[in-house]
Amino acid sequence: MSPATPSTVRRSLRLLETPTKVPSETPVKPRPTPKRKRAAPSPKTPIQPEPKRQRRQPKKRAYYRKVVYDGGEFAAGDDVYVKRREGAESDADESEEEMCRVCFRSGVTVMVECDVCLGGFHLRCVRPPLRCVPEGEWACPYCTAERAGKAIERPKPPEGKRIMRTAKEKLLSSDLWAARIESLWREPDGIFWAKVRWYIIPEETAAGRQPHNLRRELYRTNDLGVIEMETILRHCYVMSPNEFKDANDDGDDVFYCEYEYDINWHNFKRLADIDDEPETKEDPSDEPYNAGNEYDSDTDEDSEYDEEEEQTKCSSAGKNQAHELAANLWKGRIYGLQKIGIRKIPEHVRCHQKTELEKAKATLLLATLPKSLPCRDKEMEEISAFVKDAICNDQCLGRCLYIHGVPGTGKTMSVLAVMRRLRSELESGNLRPYCFIEINGLKLASPENIYKAIYEQLSGHRVGWKKALHFLTEHFLGGTKVGKQANKPIILLIDELDLLLTRNQSVLYNILDWPTRPNSNLVVIGIANTMDLPEKLLPRISSRMGIQRLCFGPYNYRQLQEIITSRLKGIPAFEEQAIEFASRKVAAMSGDARRALEICRRAAEFADYRIKQSGHTSMNRGKNVVSMGDIEAAIQEVFLAPHIQVMKNCPKFGKIILVAMVHELYKSGLGEVTIDKLAATVISWCHANRELLPGYDTLLKICCKLGESKIILCEEGTKHKLQKLQLNYPSNDRNYLINISPDS
Amino acid sequence: MASSDDNTEFMIDMLRECGLAHKTIIFVLEEFDLFAQGKQRLLYSLLDAMQSLTSQAIVIGVSCRLDADQLLEKRVRSRFSHRKLIFLPSSVDSLQRLMEHLLMLPEDSHLPTKYVMEYNARVTSIFSDKKFKGILNSLTDSDATTSHILRFLFRVVSYMDMDSGLLSMQSFMNALSSMRRQPKMDSLQDLSILELYILVCMHRLEDKEHSSYNFTTIMKEYKSVQDAYRTSDNYSHTVCFRAFEHLLDRELISFADKKGKALEYRPVKLLISSHELAQSLKLNTTCPAVLQKLLDRERYM
Repeated sequence: MSPATPSTVRRSLRLLETPTKVPSETPVKPRPTPKRKRAAPSPKTPIQPEPKRQRRQPKKRAYYRKVVYDGGEFAAGDDVYVKRREGAESDADESEEEMCRVCFRSGVTVMVECDVCLGGFHLRCVRPPLRCVPEGEWACPYCTAERAGKAIERPKPPEGKRIMRTAKEKLLSSDLWAARIESLWREPDGIFWAKVRWYIIPEETAAGRQPHNLRRELYRTNDLGVIEMETILRHCYVMSPNEFKDANDDGDDVFYCEYEYDINWHNFKRLADIDDEPETKEDPSDEPYNAGNEYDSDTDEDSEYDEEEEQTKCSSAGKNQAHELAANLWKGRIYGLQKIGIRKIPEHVRCHQKTELEKAKATLLLATLPKSLPCRDKEMEEISAFVKDAICNDQCLGRCLYIHGVPGTGKTMSVLAVMRRLRSELESGNLRPYCFIEINGLKLASPENIYKAIYEQLSGHRVGWKKALHFLTEHFLGGTKVGKQANKPIILLIDELDLLLTRNQSVLYNILDWPTRPNSNLVVIGIANTMDLPEKLLPRISSRMGIQRLCFGPYNYRQLQEIITSRLKGIPAFEEQAIEFASRKVAAMSGDARRALEICRRAAEFADYRIKQSGHTSMNRGKNVVSMGDIEAAIQEVFLAPHIQVMKNCPKFGKIILVAMVHELYKSGLGEVTIDKLAATVISWCHANRELLPGYDTLLKICCKLGESKIILCEEGTKHKLQKLQLNYPSNDRNYLINISPDS
Repeated sequence: MASSDDNTEFMIDMLRECGLAHKTIIFVLEEFDLFAQGKQRLLYSLLDAMQSLTSQAIVIGVSCRLDADQLLEKRVRSRFSHRKLIFLPSSVDSLQRLMEHLLMLPEDSHLPTKYVMEYNARVTSIFSDKKFKGILNSLTDSDATTSHILRFLFRVVSYMDMDSGLLSMQSFMNALSSMRRQPKMDSLQDLSILELYILVCMHRLEDKEHSSYNFTTIMKEYKSVQDAYRTSDNYSHTVCFRAFEHLLDRELISFADKKGKALEYRPVKLLISSHELAQSLKLNTTCPAVLQKLLDRERYM
C-alpha cells in the first residue's frame, strides 16, 4: 500500500482538503447530512497520520462498487465534479438550475441554450419568441448581433440578484475539476477515498483552446489521482461524441469528450471504442470484496498504480530506472481492469512457482523489455547526441536522421530507449521541453494519412489529410502555429519510412522539407530496412534525407551472445556453449536478434518437455539446463525446409508424377510441361511396371493437389489437358526423391 | 467508420487489457497465405502486437501452401516465430486404425447388442481380409488425406446391405469403384455418334498440326470424311452446329479465346487426350467401325 501514499499527500495538499469528517455509516445507507454545508474550517493541513495507519493495518481497505455518500450515489465509472479549492467561491451561490438570461428566473418551462455563450433562455423570452427548440445550432440574438459586429446591451440582472454560476460554468472557468471515478474504497479509519482520472478543459492543455473545440469539450487525461470523497461535489456526465449527439435535454452537466490528453508528451489520442462498451461483463457480486478478492484487486491496483505514479509524477527524483522503462512502454495509458470486467486472476496462475526454465522462457519472450540494451551503445549515443544537438540550442534547427538496418537489429527499440533517457533528463531540467510523436508507416491506412496522424497528435483535432497538410505546412513554414507549444521542438519518429513512398513521393518530400525551413523546430527520425532508400528517391528528397545516416548492422555472434546472456542473467538455465552455438548459427544466417531469442526460447521448451518426459525434476542440476541438443533441435525446426518431408510422404502416384515431371523436363529442356504429355509418360511407366493404371482425371486431381501445396506450380484445373505444370523446388531435391521412389 | 489505424489501436488496447486479466486470445488465420498479399498490414500489426506488449495472445496461421512463410515480407518474417507444424498424410496403418475407429459400433449404444456384435465381427473380418488391404492401398495410392478416406467411408456406408444392415466386402468394392470414376470418360460414353465424329475430326486436325481451327474447318474435315466413306451419318450443317454447342456445354472442347467473332469462326481447342478418346470409342458399342478406323488410321498417316 505504501506507493499510494505519496500521491495521496500530494493531491490532498493541492486540494487543501481536510480529513476531519469521518462518515461512520455503512456505505450503502444514505447519509442524512444537509447538503453542502460542511465547509471545513481548518485549511492547509496535510494528511499526516494517513501513511502510518495504513502501515499498521495494511489489508483492511474495503473496496466498493457503489457508495452512497452525502445524498448522492457514486459508482466506479461515474463522472463527478470535484472541488478545486476550499472557500474561494462560497458554496452557497451555486444554483443547480440555470437562470434565463432575460427574465432572470429559473422556471419549469423549456429553456434553450445558446451555442456560443452557453447562456440559457426561455423560449418565450427570446425576441422573436420561439415555438419549439430549434434543430441544429442556435445562437442567441445577443451573440448573433455581436458576431455581426453590432454592439448590443445584454439585459442586466435586477437589483439584488446576481447571476448564479452553475457548476458547469465554474468548471469551464477552471474553478472546479471534473473527474471520473476509477475505484472507491474505505480506509480502515472510515474515510472514503476514490481514485479518479482527471478531465481537463482545453485551456489547460499545452495546445490551448482551439477554434475547433466545442464549448463543452473536455479532455480525458492519463493522470490519476487519489482524492477524498469529501471533495466530490456531484455528478456530471461526460459523454462520447455519439452519446453527446443523442443527449438533447439531459440537463446542464453534460460534457463532450473525444480525446485523451497525454500530460507528458502533450499529445492527443482519440479515445478507443472500449469506453462505449457497457460494463455488462462485471461480475455480479455487488458486495464488498471478500478477503481473497480484495488481495487480488489490491495487487492489481497497486502494480498499475506504481507505473502510473512513475509515469505522471516524474518530478520526484531518484526513481527506479527499470520501473520507468516498463511504464513508458505503454505511454502511460492504462484503462484498468474494470473495462473488461475481470478482476479475479486464476488461482493456478498466481500460485504457480516458476521453475528456472520457465523464468528463462519468460525473459526470452520478445515482449519482455530487457533491463538493459547491450551492444547498441554507440548507436544510442549517436542518436541522443543528434537529438540533443537539435533541441538544446536556443534556435532549434530542423534536422533529419535516417536509420537503416535489417529487421531485428534493435532500431526502434534503441530510439525509444534514447527518448526515454532524454525524458528523464528533461524532468531533471537539463533539457528544453519538447514534443515527441511516434508514427509507424505500416499502421497508416495510406501514406497521406500521416498528416492526419501528426496533426491529430499535435492538436487533438481530427481533420482530413488535406486540411491537416495545410495546417502543418503553415505551422512549419512559420505562419500560424498549431497550439500554444509554438516554439517547442517537435521530434517526429517515423518507423517503416519506406511505406510512405507514393508515386510522386510528395509525402516524403513534404515531411523531409519541413525541417529545412527556418523556425520549423522539427526533427525527423526515419527508420527503414533498406540501406539505399535515399538513393531510390528523387534527388531533391535524398539530398534532404541522406546527409545524416546511422546504420544498424546485423548483430555478430558475440553481440547476440551478450544479448541473450544479459537477458538470462541470474537464471542458470542455459549451458554456456548452447548460447554460443545458437548465436553463431543465427549470426551466420541473418543476425536477427528476434530470431536468436526465439530459437533459445524454443530450445527451452524442448528442454522443459524433455525433463518432464524423464519424470524427475530438480534431482540432477546438470540435466535441467538447455543443452546443445535442444538448441540443435530448435534450429532444425526453424531452418528446416518442409518440402522434402512432404514429398517423402506423398501418395504413390504423386511421387510417380513428380519423377515423371523431372524426367519430362529434363528430356525437353523446357521449364514447363503439359499434363497431356505427363499423363502419357506416367501411364506408359505404369504399363511397363504392371501397375494399376490411374485414370486421366485422377492424375489431374493429384496434380491439382500438389499445386495447392505449391510443390509444383500449375494452372487451374479447368484447362484439362492443356494445363501447364512447373516445378517449384530445385530438381536435385527431386532426384533425391527418385532414389526413394518404389518403381522406375 | 473507424480507420484501420483506430482499429489497430483498439486491438492493441484490448490485447493489453486481456493480458492484464490473464485471458488468452487465439487468432486463427485460415488460408494464411491470402493474408500475405499486399502490404501485409494485418500480419504486421498482429505480430508486432504479439511482441511489443505483454499481451497473452497467439496467432495461428493455417495454409495449404508449403512456402507460406516465404511469402512474408522481411520485417514481418522477422517477427514471425518460425514455428511450423506440417500435417503429413498419415500412413496406411494409422489410416486403417482410423477406419476401424470410425466404422465400429460402440458397445454401449442403444442398438440391440446382438446386432452390434454381429456388425463388429463382420467389420473385423473385412479388415483382416487380404482384399481389403488391396482396396486400401489403391485408395491411398492416389490420395491419402483424411478427407479422402472419410468420403470413401461415407460411400461404403451408403452401399450397406439394407436387408441385413451389415457391411460386406462388396460395399467396399463398390465404393472404391465409385471413387475411381473418371468424369470425362463417363461423359464421353454417352455422346451421340455425330458428336464423336466431331471430336474425331478435331483430333485429326490437331494431328495434322493445324495450330488453330474453328467450326468451319471442322465442318470441312467432316465433309471430306463423309465424302470418302459415304456413311449414313451425314448430317446437315445446323444439326452439326447443335452437336458442337453440346460439346462446348459439356466442356469437352472449349474456345481458345474468350471474345469476338461469330461462334463458327472462333478458334476452338480439344480438351480431352487422344488416349481417352480412343478408349471411349473402344468401349462404345454403338460406335461405327469407320470412326475407330479414322482415329487409328491417322495415327499411321
